[in-house]
Amino acid sequence: MHEVEIKMREAARTLLESGKVDLVLGFEQGSLPLRMRPCFARNAGATVGLVWNDFCANNLAAYLPGLFQKPADVRGSWTAPTVAVVAKRCDARSVIELIKENQIPRQNVVLIGMPCQGMVDPRKAQEAAGANVTACKMAPDKQVELTTAEGGVAMSPREAILADACLECATPAPQGADVEIPGPSRPSAANPYGRLSEFESLTARERWDAFVGEISKCIRCYACRQACPNCYCKTCFIEQSKPTWAGVGDELSDVLLFHIGRIFHQAGRCVGCDACVRACPKNIDLRLFTRKIVKDVQELFGYVPGMSLDEQPPLCTFKEDDNESFITHP
Amino acid sequence: MADISTTPDAAVAPDAPSAWEPRIVAFLCNWCSYAGADLAGVSRLQYPTNVRVIRVPCSGRVNPLYIVKALQLGVDGVLVSGCHPGDCHYISGNLVARRKFAVLKSFLHYLGIEEGRVHFSWVSASEGNRFADLIQKVSDDIRRLGPARQLRKEAK
Amino acid sequence: MPQASLRKEHFGKFVAAVSKGRKFFGPLECSDGVQLAELSPQDVPAFEYGNFTLPPKRFFLPRSEVIAVHGPGGMAATPPSQERVVLFGVRPCDAMSLTYMDKVFIDETYVDPYYRSRRENTLIITLACRQPAVTCFCASVKGCPAGTAGADIAASDLGDALLLESITDAGHAFLAEHAGLMGKPSTAQLKARDSQHADAGKKMSPVDVEKLPARLQAAFESKTWDDISQRCLGCGVCTFLCPTCHCFGLHDEQVGPVQRRVRAQDACAFPTFTLEASGHNPRTRQGARMRQRVMHKFCYAAENFGELFCVGCGRCIRSCPANLDIRQTLAEVPE
Repeated sequence: MHEVEIKMREAARTLLESGKVDLVLGFEQGSLPLRMRPCFARNAGATVGLVWNDFCANNLAAYLPGLFQKPADVRGSWTAPTVAVVAKRCDARSVIELIKENQIPRQNVVLIGMPCQGMVDPRKAQEAAGANVTACKMAPDKQVELTTAEGGVAMSPREAILADACLECATPAPQGADVEIPGPSRPSAANPYGRLSEFESLTARERWDAFVGEISKCIRCYACRQACPNCYCKTCFIEQSKPTWAGVGDELSDVLLFHIGRIFHQAGRCVGCDACVRACPKNIDLRLFTRKIVKDVQELFGYVPGMSLDEQPPLCTFKEDDNESFITHP
Repeated sequence: MADISTTPDAAVAPDAPSAWEPRIVAFLCNWCSYAGADLAGVSRLQYPTNVRVIRVPCSGRVNPLYIVKALQLGVDGVLVSGCHPGDCHYISGNLVARRKFAVLKSFLHYLGIEEGRVHFSWVSASEGNRFADLIQKVSDDIRRLGPARQLRKEAK
Repeated sequence: MPQASLRKEHFGKFVAAVSKGRKFFGPLECSDGVQLAELSPQDVPAFEYGNFTLPPKRFFLPRSEVIAVHGPGGMAATPPSQERVVLFGVRPCDAMSLTYMDKVFIDETYVDPYYRSRRENTLIITLACRQPAVTCFCASVKGCPAGTAGADIAASDLGDALLLESITDAGHAFLAEHAGLMGKPSTAQLKARDSQHADAGKKMSPVDVEKLPARLQAAFESKTWDDISQRCLGCGVCTFLCPTCHCFGLHDEQVGPVQRRVRAQDACAFPTFTLEASGHNPRTRQGARMRQRVMHKFCYAAENFGELFCVGCGRCIRSCPANLDIRQTLAEVPE
C-alpha cells in the first residue's frame, strides 16, 4: 500500500512539474478518523500531502464537470485546465461516462489509475468495534485492528468492514488509464448484484414498503445527487420551475418522485461506486435501488457503464431486436 | 407541454368514492397511435371512456418523468403508445423509447408499484380496432387494481 | 433548583404517565442510528448515543409545512399546532441552539406564530453528554456537555438512574406533576453527576472563535473562500443538519384541486437559493455561497443577535460528504 502511495505521489509530481497538468485531484488526510478527503494539488510542492490508503472513498470524478465550466463571473477568454485524477477503477469509469456524454474534454483529463483493494466503510468499522473507532490498522491474516475512543482494541476481518460497493465490485483493477500505478487489486466479485435476487423475491407490497421505508428517511439535502459524478445536469429536474415537477418539501410523494427520477436517470451511467450511499447523512440504502438499474441495463442491452469510450450510451441508441416483452397487446 | 400541475381538471379531481371510475392518461404519438384513436372514433368503435389523451409528436418525446408525474397527480394508470417498430415517422424515436420504457417498467415493478398501472404499446394509424381493444384491456386492468394511491400526492 | 431521581426501570411508567397529556419523544435505536422518536411505554430507550442525526429544530421549524390553504372563502392560514410535546434526551448543545432560534423567530418586532406555538407547547429535557464525540466543540462556543441553556429540565445519566433538575417554571411544574415516580437524589448520586460533568468537558479540543466577526468582515473579499470551497459539493447536508440554520422559502403549489402555500427550509449552498426571477444569480461561485453560510453564523448573527449561531454539535463535520470541517475553515480565515 505504501509503495503504491509513493508511486502515485511521484506520478502526480511529475505531471505537475512537467506542466502536463494544472491540477492533480487526489486525496489528503481528512480531519476525522478513517477519513481521507479530496485534495486539489496545483503545484509539485502540494503533492507531498497526497495519500493513498483504505479510506480514499470519495469518487473524485464528481468535481470534474465543474472544473471545465467557465465560471459565470469570468469575462473574456478562459482556458480550461488540464486535470489529472487519482482514480480507482470505479471513479475512472465515471470519468469515461462523463467524457462520452461531453461533460468533460478527453484531452484535458489525465487518469491516474490506482490498484484497488477495496475501501473501508467507516460505518461498518464502527459497528464491528461496537464503539467510536479512532484508528484502523492492517494486521496479518487479512485482519484489521480497530482502536476505539475508549482505548480498546478490536480485531475484525478486513472483508467485513469493506464498503458494499467494493465487495460487489466487478472491476477493481485499473485498466485503460493514462498513468497506471502498479500494485495488487482485489479479485473481481463473483456476484456484483448480491442482494437483488433476495429483494426481487419479495412480494410487490413488501418491496414497496421497503422502498418507502428507506426513502421516507430522506431530508432532501441532495447529497446523493451532488456526490454522484454522473448526476451532472446543470438544473436537476427536481429544481426546474417551468413547469414545477415536484413540491419543494419533504412530503413523501415528492421525495419518492425525486429518487425514482434520479435513479432512473442513472440508467447507463451508474458505475456502482456508492458515492450517493456514502454521502447520505441518513444512511438510506440507495444501493438496493441503484443496482437494479445497473443490472437491467446490463441484462437488457449488454451495457456496462464506463468500460469503453466507443460504446454508445445505451439509452441514446437501440437495436432492431431489443427486448419488447413488456409491451401490452390487446 | 402545458403545465398540468396547475391545471385542475377532471383527471386530477379527488375520487368520488361511490362511483369510482379509473382515470387513465394516454400519451399517443401524433403519427400512428393518435391517428389510430381517431380511426377508432370515426369508425364508431365502442371503448371505455376512461382515457384522457395527450398527443405527443413521438413516443420518443415521452419523458419517463411524465409517467411517474402523472401517477403523482393522481391518475390511476398511464398508457404510452407509438408507432410499431420500424414505422416511426422519425425513423427511430420509438426504438429509443422502447429502451427507456423497458428500464422504467422493470424499475417500477422492482420498487413494488402495482403491476398494470403503466402500459406501453404500439398502435398504427390503420389499427382502429386494435386501439379500441387496447383501451378495453388497459382500462379493465386498471379497474381491477382500483384507485392508485402509491405515488399520489394528496392535500392533507 | 428542584432535583429528583428517576430509576431507569421506571422509565416506561414515566413515559406512560407523561403520554397521558403529551407526545413523548425520546432516544430510540432506528435503522439510521439513535433518533429522537416517539416513544411508547414498551419501547426500550437508547441511553447510549452521541447525538441524533437530525437536530431538534425539526420539531419547531419542520423541513416543510403547509401554512395556508386556498379554499372557497379565500386564503386561510393554517392554525399553529397546539400539540403538547416532551422532548427527552436532547443534548445540551441542541437545547442551546433553540435559544438562538428564539432570537430569530420570537423577535421583538417579528413573531413567527408556528414556531412560537410549538416552542410554548414543548418541554425540553436535556441529557448531559458523558462522552463527547471527536466532532464536538461546544465548550468553545459558550456551551458545555452539561449545559442547561434552553432546557426546562436537565437530566444526567447515572447508570441505573437519571438525575433530573428542573430549570424553568414549566420544568418545576413537570417534576412536581410526576414526583410520584421519582425519589430524592442521594449525595452519592450528586457527586457522581459532578465528576461526570467535569470529565466530559475535558475531552474536547478547543476552537478559536476569538474576534471571528471582525476577522470574517475583513476577509470578505479574500481568495481563501474559493480555496476552501473547492471541495464543497454543494449539497445541503451542513445546512439541514445544523441546529441553528433557519433560512426558508415560501412556495405556492397545487395539489389536486387544492392550492396551498408551503414553507420549506432552503440551503444557501444551493445555487437556486439566490436565483432571481430574472435569471440573474448574485452568488455564482460555490465559494461565495460557502462564505455566506460561515458569515451568517459567525459574523452577521453576532451583529444582529450578539451571538455566534453555532453550538459546536459537530453535525456538519461528521456528515459532510467531502469532509469539510468548520473548525479548519474558521482557522483558515485570514487574520
